[in-house]
Amino acid sequence: MRASALPTTEVVSHDNTMVLSMGPQHPSTHGVLQIVLEIDSENVVKADPEIGYLHTGIEKTAEGLFWTQAQTVIERMDYLAPSSNALCYALAVEKLLGITDRIPARAQTIRVMDMELTRIASHCVWLGTHGIDLGAISVFFYCFDLRENILDLQEANGGARMHPNYMRVGGCNGDLPGGYLAKLDALIEKFPGRMRELRGLLQANPIFQDRTIDVGILTPEEALQWSVTGPSLRASGIAYDVRKAFPYTGYDSYDFDVPTRTEGDAYARFLVRLDEMEQSMRVVAQARKRLDEPGPVMIDDPKIALPPKETIALSMEALIHHFKLISEGFRVPPGDVYQAVESPRGELGYYIVSDGENRPYRVRTRPPSLYNLQALKGIAPGNLIADLVVMIGSLDPVFGEVDR
Amino acid sequence: MPSTQNPPIAGAAIDPPSLRPPIDDAAIERVQPSRLRERLEALKRDGCAILLDLGAVDYLRRTPRFDVVYHLLKLAPVRAGVAEVATPMRTRLLCGVERDEHLPSVMDLWKSADWAEREVYDLFGIVFDGHADLRRIQMPRDWEGHPLRKDYPMRGPARERAPRPAFANKSNVVAGTPPTGRTLEALQEQVKRARES
Repeated sequence: MRASALPTTEVVSHDNTMVLSMGPQHPSTHGVLQIVLEIDSENVVKADPEIGYLHTGIEKTAEGLFWTQAQTVIERMDYLAPSSNALCYALAVEKLLGITDRIPARAQTIRVMDMELTRIASHCVWLGTHGIDLGAISVFFYCFDLRENILDLQEANGGARMHPNYMRVGGCNGDLPGGYLAKLDALIEKFPGRMRELRGLLQANPIFQDRTIDVGILTPEEALQWSVTGPSLRASGIAYDVRKAFPYTGYDSYDFDVPTRTEGDAYARFLVRLDEMEQSMRVVAQARKRLDEPGPVMIDDPKIALPPKETIALSMEALIHHFKLISEGFRVPPGDVYQAVESPRGELGYYIVSDGENRPYRVRTRPPSLYNLQALKGIAPGNLIADLVVMIGSLDPVFGEVDR
Repeated sequence: MPSTQNPPIAGAAIDPPSLRPPIDDAAIERVQPSRLRERLEALKRDGCAILLDLGAVDYLRRTPRFDVVYHLLKLAPVRAGVAEVATPMRTRLLCGVERDEHLPSVMDLWKSADWAEREVYDLFGIVFDGHADLRRIQMPRDWEGHPLRKDYPMRGPARERAPRPAFANKSNVVAGTPPTGRTLEALQEQVKRARES
């Protein structure tokens, strides 16, 4: 099939090329992506993604909310990995407040565990939908079963499946509930078997290989030019991972590898993500061991953390702190900061400016999906339309984040 | 709950951020728009292979009014095969821009600047000279104004007076009336008739 695809250099605009709109309702565009395609028979001459269909002005909204309230909307950017948004924002605000060193150890462990579980859950959605795009329907059900286990855990500690709002400035919102660790142990036990099944369904599948190997090749130079980060960059042979390069919330004390491939095609990105899921579970298992030790999960600072609910009826000070925090929030010293975390899609960064008030002055997001998706303009020309679906899937964009 | 009025517009009190001691691990520089291009070219030659991010901040009452913020990432040179990334480093470049001032595009240095510059143009109205295709990216094409500017009202009376896009002014949509005529009275009438029959 691919033998008929012309090499990039031979596909040029001429009088008989056709302009075709793909999306924004196309099922394989994972949300609301429109691509204006210029095609020569089945070959893509030019692909111009149109974004903005899901623009909700989250950055503008955040400027009108208290520092804590803003986190609620920020979590809705990358809706497949809400914890990474929340953690990155919380870390940035903590740096501005100068309390980074005072976050309790248990809170940091929970954060790491939650981040890695989120990464697995997010990759599950990617793998399931990527499979569906290529006609492998059953993978989706295996993936969503695994994801459901993780969402159960998220629901247990945060109270909501999709947007738990569990990471807070200063720590986490409440300790893990009873029975959580038993559920986590069960998941850690179940995971390797489930991964074997997922690999068995796709990795050696000749149809899957035929559709993904040598499709959408991203050379290291191109990847850097397009600011691609995350698994897509690592599949092109550049081992840049924010967790290793700029460790945050104690990642330097965990033992894990950064999976890398050199081929740079859709199959390499698939393999890197699968390896990454296993590495994530390795980190979760290490974090699980540290969770046996009890301890506080929120910073001991009444100006930032809400007092425990039960003290409000008994202590006047607790009542005052509670009232002040709810009605006017806390103030953050003026300054600007850039904080990045490794989200499932790549380097997620926040550039936050504070003017000393109780609301953020500016919250600029560096969404990994936006930059990764942009690379489509570079890798699509010269490929078949059918392969475009593979390329979009392998870049794993989330449109809540692209459009914000 | 936030009030229904616009949040107070601050900004006058903010020093240029680069004058304060940095609290993150980036090297911070401030350049004039005339020297921006030269400085970015030098940084790229110096190994800043990735343009991590390009954004802007509106300091309404300051001169110059906007800061365009470039975040660059320096990686070790890419070797054949798997490149080990040794000591990556971030650089933040801030460039003050007045309201009608233009900046040079860096699309030819980093392709990823394409969408980033379009977004800054769309949401702040800063024009990048030399950009191949500078048009709105997030907002609809016929949108008026630049929403992330501090003087762009979010809510309150000023928002009502702000220009509205054409699609919001359709005469067949009347506030408060359900589109199909299924009013509460009509539903109650329907229920009443059903009970009687």
